[in-house]
Amino acid sequence: MYAWFYRHLPGPPRLRLTLAVIAVLAIVALLMFVVFPAVETVLPNGRVTLGD
Amino acid sequence: MAGASSVPAAEDEQGTASSGPATGGIPGPGRPAVPAADAPTVLVEDPASGGESAPAAGWRRMLAGRLARGFGELLITAGIVVALFLAYQLWVTDLFAGRTQDRLHHQLDQAWRRPPAPRAPAGDRVRPAPPPPVDLGDGLAILRVPRFGRDYSPVVVEGVAAADLRRGPGHIPGTAMPGQLGNFVVSGHRTTYGKPFSRLDELKVGDPLVVEVRDRYYTYRVTGSEVVTPNRVDVTYPVPKRPGVAPAKDLITLTTCHPKFSASHRLIVYGELVDTTVKSAGVPPALRGE
Repeated sequence: MYAWFYRHLPGPPRLRLTLAVIAVLAIVALLMFVVFPAVETVLPNGRVTLGD
Repeated sequence: MAGASSVPAAEDEQGTASSGPATGGIPGPGRPAVPAADAPTVLVEDPASGGESAPAAGWRRMLAGRLARGFGELLITAGIVVALFLAYQLWVTDLFAGRTQDRLHHQLDQAWRRPPAPRAPAGDRVRPAPPPPVDLGDGLAILRVPRFGRDYSPVVVEGVAAADLRRGPGHIPGTAMPGQLGNFVVSGHRTTYGKPFSRLDELKVGDPLVVEVRDRYYTYRVTGSEVVTPNRVDVTYPVPKRPGVAPAKDLITLTTCHPKFSASHRLIVYGELVDTTVKSAGVPPALRGE
């Protein structure tokens, strides 16, 4: 999966590495600012209030 | 290409097949499936695959290896995502809450600067008329606790639904408003979302808790604290733990999760009103201390 992704990046190794880092950062940002805020409302561990 | 050795020469005898040069060799992706042109055509038998032809077995192994690697990478990825979620809960939610609190401070500031909506009965100096109801999620007061430092000033919002508590400590609707007879009950996060009540366990009897509203400071003093199970709603009664008893004092009750990073118990801090200061008279003594 990771190897496959790296193989399909264009350009020389230096460019590939840069692109890979950017991709990882983009995915992390997506998780932090979109996915996790949406997911945590349905997770049970946040239910700390009575009758909520 | 791969089919070459799987086509047995019809005239080959059984004996030739079992004694072929490749028998016992390790079949794999790297091994050429086509025998050298001058080599005798043999029926290659993979000992492991029980009569199956070598390329098929090699292909199978390769597939199994790929699947195993893919599965392993999937597990690693899942682990990383879980770790990231933890980081999100512990630090990123604080960031969100900090921004929300800044906005709430600004909104309260604006609202308090505007002249108050006309109220029918003008309250007297000590006991003002009940403040107008606040929408869920909106700020209603600023809590200041000298023990937590000068910068500690979370905006208390109305409501204790999960969405309200993500914004700041929440006033339980239906309990008294600050300065009203009864129990002003505020719940807050112990960890995550700005963790406003993270240090509630450090409060000692006699510590001031100052609640700032539009025109007044209400100074409460801590009278005690305890740890209870989450089902103990009786701590939020007008007189805590005394159902049906009419309140005679202005009380404050702060509740949060206990222990830290767990929701198994609740830490409850009680206090009672000792001083009401009109804002025009300046900052109350409890805040002037340091």
